Amino acid sequence: MLVQFSPSPFPCLHPGLLCNSLAWSGMASVCLRTPLSSPPTMLATFDVVTLSRLQFALTAIFHMLWPVLSTGLAIFLVVLEAIWLRTRNPLYYRQARFWAKLYVLNFGIGVASGLPMEFQFGTNWAPLSEFAGDFFGAVLGFEGAMAFMLEAGFLGIMLFGWHKVPPVIHFLSTVMVAFGANLSVFWILSANSWLQTPAGGTFSDGHFHVQNYFAAINNPFMVKSVIHMALATVETSMLVVAAISAWSLLRKKAPEFFLFSFKLALVILLAVAPMQILAGHESAVQVAEHQPTKLAAIEALWDDQAAGSSPAWSVLAAPDEASGSNRWSLEVPGAFSWILETRPRLSQPVRGLNSWPADQRPHMVGLLFYAFRVMVAIGLAAAALMALSLLLWWRGGLNAGSFERWRWFSWAWILSAPAGYLAIEAGWVVRCVGRQPWTVYGQLRTADAASVLPVGEVITSLSTFAVLYTFLLIFALYFGSRIIAKGPNLSLEPPSGASALPISTPST
Amino acid sequence: MEFLELFMPTVWFVILALFLLLYVILDGFDLGVGILSLTSPGEDQRTILMTSLGNVWDANETWLVLMGGALFGAFPLAYGTILKALYGPIYLMILGLILRAVAFEFRENAVNKRPWNLMFGIGSVVVAASQGICLGTVLSGIPTDAAGHFTGSVWIWVNPSSLLVALTLIQGYVLIGSTYLIIKTSGELQRLHVRTARLAAATTLGGALLITFTAPFASEVLRQRLFDPAFLPFFVVLPLLGIALIVQLFRSLALQQEVWPFVYTVLLFILSFAGLGVMVFPAVIPPSVTIFQASSSVSSMVFMLTFIGVLIPIMLFYNIYNYIAFRGKVSVE
Repeated sequence: MLVQFSPSPFPCLHPGLLCNSLAWSGMASVCLRTPLSSPPTMLATFDVVTLSRLQFALTAIFHMLWPVLSTGLAIFLVVLEAIWLRTRNPLYYRQARFWAKLYVLNFGIGVASGLPMEFQFGTNWAPLSEFAGDFFGAVLGFEGAMAFMLEAGFLGIMLFGWHKVPPVIHFLSTVMVAFGANLSVFWILSANSWLQTPAGGTFSDGHFHVQNYFAAINNPFMVKSVIHMALATVETSMLVVAAISAWSLLRKKAPEFFLFSFKLALVILLAVAPMQILAGHESAVQVAEHQPTKLAAIEALWDDQAAGSSPAWSVLAAPDEASGSNRWSLEVPGAFSWILETRPRLSQPVRGLNSWPADQRPHMVGLLFYAFRVMVAIGLAAAALMALSLLLWWRGGLNAGSFERWRWFSWAWILSAPAGYLAIEAGWVVRCVGRQPWTVYGQLRTADAASVLPVGEVITSLSTFAVLYTFLLIFALYFGSRIIAKGPNLSLEPPSGASALPISTPST
Repeated sequence: MEFLELFMPTVWFVILALFLLLYVILDGFDLGVGILSLTSPGEDQRTILMTSLGNVWDANETWLVLMGGALFGAFPLAYGTILKALYGPIYLMILGLILRAVAFEFRENAVNKRPWNLMFGIGSVVVAASQGICLGTVLSGIPTDAAGHFTGSVWIWVNPSSLLVALTLIQGYVLIGSTYLIIKTSGELQRLHVRTARLAAATTLGGALLITFTAPFASEVLRQRLFDPAFLPFFVVLPLLGIALIVQLFRSLALQQEVWPFVYTVLLFILSFAGLGVMVFPAVIPPSVTIFQASSSVSSMVFMLTFIGVLIPIMLFYNIYNYIAFRGKVSVE
């Protein structure tokens, strides 16, 4: 490995990452280019576009925390209920009931925090709504009618209907909740993919005119993005189940119960994680193909790389936008083409950031560079932890005692849950900040997509959201931890309608 | 103009009205119960109120999401213009909906339920009030330029007529909420809500009368429409039906009937809705932007209709099934 330093004409006040994370939307360039003598004035950068972007970023980042479990954990609940219906062992019924408690706590916040997402397209992004309403509005409508309503309509039966409907109808309701939630992933990712790779129509007179709806829905990014996101929600949900199980096993709470949930989550994870690594790679390849500016930004690649060359790959770097280079970087020689194309030399040229005018490519390169690395690193580390756990299990070492004996092992699993969420958020940052300066890639600039609103109005709503969301997150974690600390109800009896049926011997 | 260019916007106007009506009725009683929970005599009673919503509140709220999506897809211009004009009350409403939803879940898990009870009740009041303000503002008209973009002030929604609509809508939600609780509760709690329903019916009626008599002064367009001979039959029939329904509502409350007060209230909601529809149609951004100007392309509306049109009966089917599965009095586990 080589470490390269290149001098920068403008010393940066903050380390790159901190600077960028503080300066979310469009402010990083200001922050980076300001000489030491005059500190950046925050107010000057608070134009309404920036504020609307900040608000969208805040509400999207907060909202994204909740659909993860709504979609991923729903599949886990389907699996648990299917096992229960098959074996009639009350243990599995109690599993379903316990995890559903966390599900419902999570669900309400997800629904509520989703509302500002939809309404913001009208309030803060009216020009976008007019520009792309023909397609974008239709897709959001479909999400509501097909996915959201399905989920909501059956949720009541799933949560409170155990004694009201026959077990088969209950199981069907759980399936519908999971199906609805995952349909939601499909529609939202289709809509977002369309923003990344618009297709299926023409652009004229400030409007998108749809010619082929299926081509618009099935735009170039759609399939791989839906798969990547669906796998991400399952993987992170199973990390959450495994983390809670590991924590409870470490605390010697309901060992039989949590050993089962840990092992079931691990089995699902072992199936999902390799697929996710592949899906992640495929997503990066499609970025290289369709969004060269984003690829250059996530790799902090400033200069063009010719076909046939074998560029180095930066593990870490300090991107400096003012000079159009990295101040230093930690590189693996010749690795870039291996990672991108799995071959020693590039088959096609790759453009660097400096080859585009400043208003044609994303800024906040440091944020994109590190967000991408955080996501990949977490994905790989989680996979390694799973492989290790499988090895231990295979060698006969995985029982309730293992979690007390190897505290590091328990803690690695406990920390994997927040890491999973972090990976998802980082992925979205890469996806949407990397799309800038476009809202509709190549067609509608973010600056032109925002409503002209009084600054005070957006500052008020933005700061209200910031305060409210902080408060909600704290209490959601508090009540969630109480549910976990209280643990499952191990004396809960399955509904009488079900126990009247013949009970087969519980299998292990 | 081709047939479809006239027909599709009208179909979507009707679908939007249907979603809005379903939302106002279904989440209307949710919100009403939420407001009433502030006045519950004790924690056990409040738990009964909350349990009566447990399986339905989420699906009921989804009709609002659907309405938003349909407005966005079918009338993108209206979506942008109306939501921008109503920035303040829309954010108040979202805030209220968030507070309500999380208070509902947090209360389940909390030992000290008081703060969450308050948050749930106040959230419900805020949602009802801001929806009333939105409705009142849209009815009295949103100033636009020739392209249909909003040209009014940030504070357009602050005026006496939208305040009046807001207060009336709160009363209306309390009315439908208390008639819903008459169905779902029994004994002393049920008798309490019969009394509440009677009071709320009177205040809602008062508010509705005030709105009817002040509307011609609030908006030029409404005044023209009200005195337009072509619409005269509507404005004769609708009030007469309304009077009949109000009489029936008070009668059913006096007779201690369980289901009928709710039915009559729902019919009254539908009737008021029809009245509002007649007053604004074909405007989607009253007073001047019509559904034909604000609509998306015909192909877009046809495409949406093929999907959502098929889904409407399916959605109604499983929502009704949900209500059937949980029919009868609330039982607290």
